[in-house]
Amino acid sequence: MSKNQSWILKHPWSVRSFHYLLVLSFIPLAITGVVLFFKPFDQLTMNLYMRIHVVTGVILTLDAVAYFIIGFTRVIAFVKRSFSFSVNDIKWFSILGGYPQKFLLGKKVPVPPMGKYNSGQKLFGICVLIGGTILIATGWGLWGFPHILPHGMTALFGTLHLVFGWILILFLLVHVFLGIYMFDDFKAMFLHGKIPYEEAKEMAPLWVETEIVKIER
Amino acid sequence: MKEERYQYEESPSYVSRREFIAISGIVIAILALPAVWIRSAVVKRNSYIRARLNGLYKDDAGSKVRVSHGNSGVAKLYKDFAGHPLSEVSEELFHTQSYVNRTRI
Ligand code: HEM
Repeated sequence: MSKNQSWILKHPWSVRSFHYLLVLSFIPLAITGVVLFFKPFDQLTMNLYMRIHVVTGVILTLDAVAYFIIGFTRVIAFVKRSFSFSVNDIKWFSILGGYPQKFLLGKKVPVPPMGKYNSGQKLFGICVLIGGTILIATGWGLWGFPHILPHGMTALFGTLHLVFGWILILFLLVHVFLGIYMFDDFKAMFLHGKIPYEEAKEMAPLWVETEIVKIER
Repeated sequence: MKEERYQYEESPSYVSRREFIAISGIVIAILALPAVWIRSAVVKRNSYIRARLNGLYKDDAGSKVRVSHGNSGVAKLYKDFAGHPLSEVSEELFHTQSYVNRTRI
């Protein structure tokens, strides 16, 4: 990396602090959720796990609601990016972004040009937007007012909570692995928010071409 | 870390005004519709409960004997056999023994 490296601000502090709270709340939620599903411990220990699950669930809710309000314009941009598709996405999924080839065969295959998020990240984004909302809403229903919900709705909430919980947990394994493996993105998200210009141009050419502007100082 | 040291950023006009209004409208509608639906389901469920409650009161109002201590059968049972409520015999016969864990039923 040369000294006069140019940088792009990829994740401003608002996104980073939201993501930090997301990590701090969702990972304990995922772990306690899996434990609550398999019930490996005695009643008292399971009770403790349930309490941790509820407290971290409340933290996750506060994080999500706060970001929805404070970072509303960023939420809308995230929705637009996550739901923008083109033929490139079909091509991307047909080779899974070149990742299996890279990890399993050590081969580098040409990947169609991507925007800020690649097709896999967009799918993850959609799962987080829809699944996360459903998890939060059903979680509050199940914890706070199962007795008020009409007959059958509590059971429906339970099923939805279970299904989307598993979807997000399994997707998260991929996200965390790639989030650490793509180390420049990791540093951008966990430290300073910046990504080297050249790297972004290679990984997200459409983003750099259409969305990135030079700052006039 | 010094965040100021970057030369490029995202253009704020990535989402146009029109798109912003459209997308936020859709997002808020999608959040609001289930909320409205659940609310009306809860209200409807409460109306069932209220109707049932009214039915029970109506049954009561029409019955000759409305309270258990007015029930001549129960009175006879205590007089001839169990003595009085909470007596030793009634304790043994009518009271459940202990809490039963039903989570696995
Ligand atoms: C140790 C755990 C985690 C690591 C290492 C990690 C890593 C990362 C990284 C590096 C990025 C930036 C990707 C990029 O620049 O293209 C990112 C973005 C993101 N992560 Fe995570 N993540 C973790 C946990 C989570 C959790 C628990 C969630 C939520 C369920 C989550 C949701 C997201 C979302 C929605 C984004 C996109 C944010 C945006 O660009 O606006 N992450 N993560």
